[in-house]
Amino acid sequence: MDPKKMIIYPLIVFGIAIIIIIANYVMTGSFVKEGIELRGGSVITLQGVNVSPDEIAKSIKEKTGIDVTVEKFSGVGGSGVRVYVSAGDDVNLVREALKEMFPDVEPQTVVIGPTFGEIVREQGIKAIVYAFIGMAIVVFLFFRVPVPSMTVVFSAFSDMIIAIALMNIFGIELSQATIAALLMLIGYSVDSNILLTTRLLRRKEFTVEEAYYSSLKTGFTMSTTTLGALASLWIFSTAQVIDDIASVLIFGLLADFMNTWILNAGVLRLYIAKREGKE
Amino acid sequence: MKWRRILLNFRVIVLIFFLLISITALATRGLTFGLDISGGISITVKLEKPVDSQTMEQVKIALEQRLNTLGVKNIVVEPWGDQFVIVKVANVTEEEADQLIKTIERQGVFYAEFQGIIFATGKDILNVGSVSYDPQHSAWVVPFRLSKEAAEKFAQLALGKAGYPVDMFLDPPVNSTLVVSNRVYEAMLSKTFMLEGDMTLVERIEKAFGIKVVPYANVTPEEIAEIAKGSERIILLDVDGNLSKALKEMGFEVETRSMRSDEDVYDFIKRSLGLYGPYRVSEGLATGNPSTEVMISITAPKTDIQARQDAQVVSVVLRSGSLPVKLSIERIDYISPKLGENFKRQVLVAGIAALLVVGLIVFLHYRKIKIAIPVMFTSFSEVLIILGIAALIRWNLDLPSIAGIIAAIGTGVDQQIVITDELLGEEESRRRVKRSGVLRRMGRAFFIILASATTTIVAMSFLFKFFVGGLRGFAFTTILGVLVGIFITRPAYGEIAKVLIGERR
Repeated sequence: MDPKKMIIYPLIVFGIAIIIIIANYVMTGSFVKEGIELRGGSVITLQGVNVSPDEIAKSIKEKTGIDVTVEKFSGVGGSGVRVYVSAGDDVNLVREALKEMFPDVEPQTVVIGPTFGEIVREQGIKAIVYAFIGMAIVVFLFFRVPVPSMTVVFSAFSDMIIAIALMNIFGIELSQATIAALLMLIGYSVDSNILLTTRLLRRKEFTVEEAYYSSLKTGFTMSTTTLGALASLWIFSTAQVIDDIASVLIFGLLADFMNTWILNAGVLRLYIAKREGKE
Repeated sequence: MKWRRILLNFRVIVLIFFLLISITALATRGLTFGLDISGGISITVKLEKPVDSQTMEQVKIALEQRLNTLGVKNIVVEPWGDQFVIVKVANVTEEEADQLIKTIERQGVFYAEFQGIIFATGKDILNVGSVSYDPQHSAWVVPFRLSKEAAEKFAQLALGKAGYPVDMFLDPPVNSTLVVSNRVYEAMLSKTFMLEGDMTLVERIEKAFGIKVVPYANVTPEEIAEIAKGSERIILLDVDGNLSKALKEMGFEVETRSMRSDEDVYDFIKRSLGLYGPYRVSEGLATGNPSTEVMISITAPKTDIQARQDAQVVSVVLRSGSLPVKLSIERIDYISPKLGENFKRQVLVAGIAALLVVGLIVFLHYRKIKIAIPVMFTSFSEVLIILGIAALIRWNLDLPSIAGIIAAIGTGVDQQIVITDELLGEEESRRRVKRSGVLRRMGRAFFIILASATTTIVAMSFLFKFFVGGLRGFAFTTILGVLVGIFITRPAYGEIAKVLIGERR
């Protein structure tokens, strides 16, 4: 494929992701849906409950007069419901109502004050920004050539943006867990990009084409094993922390596949062609 | 032959060495799980403003003292940074959890009482000096200043009553009925709490706080209910649980406290009442002259560390009526122990499934069991070593930590694949590969691994540094996993792979 086209398509996807995020901002006032950890509020999780969410919400409204959002989840490990209570409402009332309805179920409760959310958001942004800068410095130190390094950094950035856009589409909320997953993404994304960049720039005995396809093979094996491991996590666990981390990483890895093997490869091929043309 | 070459390699020996240590650590020390797995409550408390370490220590002790009166076991109060305190308690019932939350939300209430009359509350304690040793009276002392009104009130009350007891209370169970066992009742009436006064502790707390004390002997639940009418709650001290059920059915709020193995009946009573003291009124204070500069002294030799600690606690209690900062609860996580058990099983299943899936995918890619088995073995060793280290340093494994381990395994497998592919080389050019070629390829593989490991560690360090909450566990195990990977398991895998793959040529 023409290297220029290889660069264009991933950039278009990146652009669409940006548009989705901005559209979300225009519609809801935030770039990505924030979970209760950032907004404040409470969530009561009931494992093993198999009643329609609407019914639960209705009877809680009747009993306590509090509006709650109820959501169903399921996995191999079991299913259940999560009941969300907004920050100002009395969680204990809701919990008692739930206990009356399901006396045998042990609830798991998380209550978060609104100012705590503020702190989590601040810390999250700080952690991501610093991690990004740290990553960029490490990449530059390892390669010492500006264009390939910048491409690696950009594709990590694009992975994150696309993952956030997919979070918006699939309704996954920003929480401490997903912030961690986005950070983890930096590591994974750099992994494959470094592999490709090293192989292409340091190859001596092969042509660019040969090196590219051999790296692609390796990269494909890498991504499939990681995806396999993450998918089994996602399937077997009903703990929200783990589910969220797994799904965001899966989004990011899919984005990374494109950004590494199409975008970064395109840029590197142009770069190498130019460099070799000069020599 | 092949096995000998693998086993006698230095890097493989290092791996085996670490595996043995890890297995030993796991077998002898075991793993400690976080509250989200073992069940329990974690309460994140925010201080109104950032404080220095000394104030933080005060807040910690004050919280510990106040929560201890509840009689809930194993309360851990952990300062976090300069503005947060996390209170963690494993294995609590929902009821106990509620009490903990209420106690933290309430500001500590301090009372000083004499002859059943409250003469000072927290706002009357104007200044608390630091704990020091008074060699003249051979006692540890806590000096403090009382407000003028409190000092005058006390002077009147204590006139001519040297040797009488003064009690201090922090969060006493105001307006409640205590049902106590015989030994507790006897102790409450004893000289230990009366000193040279003429009122028993039972009389004093009834007069001061409306606390009714009923010995549990030949009384029916109905009779207790009659007595407890008008009390906010009934607290059972050292009394078995059947009564609690009966009283609960009658609509009372009932709490049960039992004696811990490390305390005697007197300590138990003090803890349950939130009582500090009683302290003997000295001759100088019984003259009728108000004195605002007073002190509490604990007679003991200077080397008595216990006495010094007691004095420290008293100083915190005196201050706690007016803690230097306001506290607010920012986050509560409550997980029932049963649920945690379920999570543990799920994570185990997910982990094993992930390992098998990885093995299967690797096998499908290379069609060689000789590669799939070492890859799985290496990943498995990695998990084992991470867990072993966690057991050694007693790291609390919570759900994010476990997610971190799995993430580390993910990158680990990636890196093994890089090594494998570099070793396998390109099929068509294999003939050109010589010994030096293998070394160079290994070098390149380790360059890639080192670069990606460094970035992961850098990214995760920020998470570890900046987060208050549980996600530090995620960062910690990820970093640990990456380090174990690059220093222990990956080099060993490289050697094993070199022998197994190289052997074909």
